[in-house]
Amino acid sequence: MKVFELTYIIEDDLITSTITELILKRNTCFDRVQTFSNGQEAFEELAQIARANAEVPDLILLDLNMPVMDGWEFLDAFSTLGLHKHVDVCVLTSSIDPEDIEKSNTYKDVKGYFSKPLDDDILDKILDLLA
Amino acid sequence: MNYLQQEIQGSQEPKNKIFDFVQENSLDGLWYWDLKNPDNTWVNTTFWKSIGYDGEHEAERPADWRTVVAPADLAAVEAQLAACVAGGTSNFTQLVQCTHRDQSAVWLQCQGLIMRDDDGQQERLVGVLLDVTKEKIALATAHEFATHYSTILSNQSVYIIRTNTAGNYTYVNDFFCERFGYDAKIIGTSSMDSIYEDDRPKCIATVMKCFTEPEKPHQVILRKPYRDNTVKSNHWEFKGIVNGAGELVEILCVGYDVTLLVENFEKSQHLLEVTKQQNARLQNFAHIISHNIRSHSANLTSLVRFLQEAKGAEQTAMFLQMLKTSTDKLAETIVNLNEIVTANSNAHQPRKPRSLQREVNKTLEALNVLIHQNSIAVLVNIPADVTVHVVPAYLDSILLNLLSNAIKYRSPQEAATIEVTTHSENEYIVLSIKDNGLGIDLDRHGAKVFGMYKTFHKNEDARGVGLFITKNQIEAMGGKINVQSKLGNGSTFNVYFNEGV
Repeated sequence: MKVFELTYIIEDDLITSTITELILKRNTCFDRVQTFSNGQEAFEELAQIARANAEVPDLILLDLNMPVMDGWEFLDAFSTLGLHKHVDVCVLTSSIDPEDIEKSNTYKDVKGYFSKPLDDDILDKILDLLA
Repeated sequence: MNYLQQEIQGSQEPKNKIFDFVQENSLDGLWYWDLKNPDNTWVNTTFWKSIGYDGEHEAERPADWRTVVAPADLAAVEAQLAACVAGGTSNFTQLVQCTHRDQSAVWLQCQGLIMRDDDGQQERLVGVLLDVTKEKIALATAHEFATHYSTILSNQSVYIIRTNTAGNYTYVNDFFCERFGYDAKIIGTSSMDSIYEDDRPKCIATVMKCFTEPEKPHQVILRKPYRDNTVKSNHWEFKGIVNGAGELVEILCVGYDVTLLVENFEKSQHLLEVTKQQNARLQNFAHIISHNIRSHSANLTSLVRFLQEAKGAEQTAMFLQMLKTSTDKLAETIVNLNEIVTANSNAHQPRKPRSLQREVNKTLEALNVLIHQNSIAVLVNIPADVTVHVVPAYLDSILLNLLSNAIKYRSPQEAATIEVTTHSENEYIVLSIKDNGLGIDLDRHGAKVFGMYKTFHKNEDARGVGLFITKNQIEAMGGKINVQSKLGNGSTFNVYFNEGV
C-alpha cells in the first residue's frame, strides 16, 4: 500500500487537528504529519519549500472555514506555487453545504471532499481514492 | 330663359312627354293636391314604388297615401301649407317619414310648390319627393360614431392626448384635464414640463421610437404630479400618426394610472428583499449550526474513543483535558447561537429614545481599563442633542461590539486612535466609529465581514459572532451597517439608525 511520507493538516481548531493527527498516526500508511492553524501558515511553508526545492507533502487535508486565509483562498494561492511534485488535496470539513461541495469540484487539485470527523472509515476511503 | 328651357318650350314633343320623362327618372315620387277639393289628392306610381309597392293597385285608391306618411310629418306639411297660404309664399320643404311595405322607415325630402289661379287663390300643391333614406342613415351612423368616439375620448378612466412633433399638446381629453388639474389653456404647451424629471429621458426615448416605428405602439411608464400634488405613475402607449406622405405629424398617447400597481410591485419587491435577507440569514444560521455543533460533536466522539483506548494515566489526562476544552467550546457555541436567535426574534421590542453621546461615553467607560492599558486616544464628537430611537439592549450590544473591536484590532506599530462621530443622512442618523488599526482586506473578505464565525485576524478570543450579531440587531431596528477599511489602514464602521420608522 502507498505510504504518505508527509501529510499536512490545515485546520484552525486545535482539538480537531490533534484528533486528526492522532488518527493518521495510528495508521501505518501515514508517516510524518505537520499541522497548520490556517491557510496562510501552510502557504508560507509551501512557498518556502518551492523556493528551497525542499520536501513537498504527499497529501494535504484542508479545512474550509478558517481565519486569516480560508480553504478556498489557500487553494487559489496554492495553484500558483508551481511545486515540483504533485500534491493531492482532500477537503476535510464539517460544512455539509452543497455549494461548498460543488465549489470544491471546480478545483483540479482537490481529489475528494470529506466530512469531519475523520475516522478510520473515512481514512480508508481517502486511501482508496488516492491509491 | 336659358337654352334648355327654349329647347323644351320649342320642342315638337308634347310637353307632357318631357315632363313625364323627367319626373319618372329623377324623382322618387310626386304629390298633387287639389287644395280647393282635398279629396282630389294624388300620388304617382313612383311614390308607391319608393316605399315597396307596385303602385298599380294603390292607384285605384288615391287617398291611401296618407296612411303611410308619419302623422306628425303630414301635420307638418299641412302646417307649412297653411303658413304659405297665410304668408302668400309658394315654396316650402319638409322631410317626411313614410313606412315602407317591409315596415322600415323611408325618408323623403318634399319640395312643395303652391300654384295659384289668376286671382291669387291657392289651387294646387305640387310636391316633388326625393328619397333621402341613405343620406339619413349615413348621417345617423356618423352621429352614432361621433357620440361613440367622443364617449371613448372623454371616458372616465383613460387619458388620451395628442402632441405635435415638438411635444406640445394638440388634444387632451376631459379625464386627463380633470385628474391633473388642467384646462383648455394647456393646448400648445409642452407635454414634457409636468413629467417627473427623472422620467423625461424615458419619455424622449419612447417618442424617438415613434419616429422610427410609427406604426407600432410603444409603451412607457411615466410619473407625473396629480392635481393634489401626489405623484402618480401612468402607463402610456405612444403611437405615431402619419400623414399621407408618410411623415409623422402627431403622437397619440393613451394612458392610465398604474400607481397602485407600481406601489404594490415595489411593496412585493421590498418584501422579497426582506425575505431574501431572512432566508440568507437562516441559511447562514443552519450552516453554522451544522458546522459548529457538528465539529464539536465529532470531536467529542473521537475523544471519547481515544479515551477508551488510552494507554496510561498521562494519555488519559491529555484526552480528558481535550474533552473538557471541547465541551466548554460547545457550551460557548450554544450561548452564541442563543444570542443570535434572540437578536433575530426580538425585532419588535419597544424602542426608546437614547442620547448617542451618553451611550457612547457609557460604553467607553466600561472599556476604560483596556483603553488606558493600551494608551488609546479616543475622540468623541457627538452633539449632545443627537438622539436615536432604539431597543436599548441592542444599542448597548452594538456599541460594545464595535468599540471593543476597535480596541482589539488596534495596530501594534502605531499609537492607536478611535474617533466616534455622527451625521444625518436622509432618514438615518449615522454613527461612525473610525480606528487606525489593522483594517480588513475588503477585496478578500468584504462579502463575509458580517457573516457568522468569520474571523480575519489571529486573535485568540475572536469568536466571529460579534459583527454578525451587530448586523442583526441594527437590521432588526430597520437600520443598516457598512464598513470602509483597508488592510493596515484601519476601519470605519458606519451604523445607520433608522429614525424614519
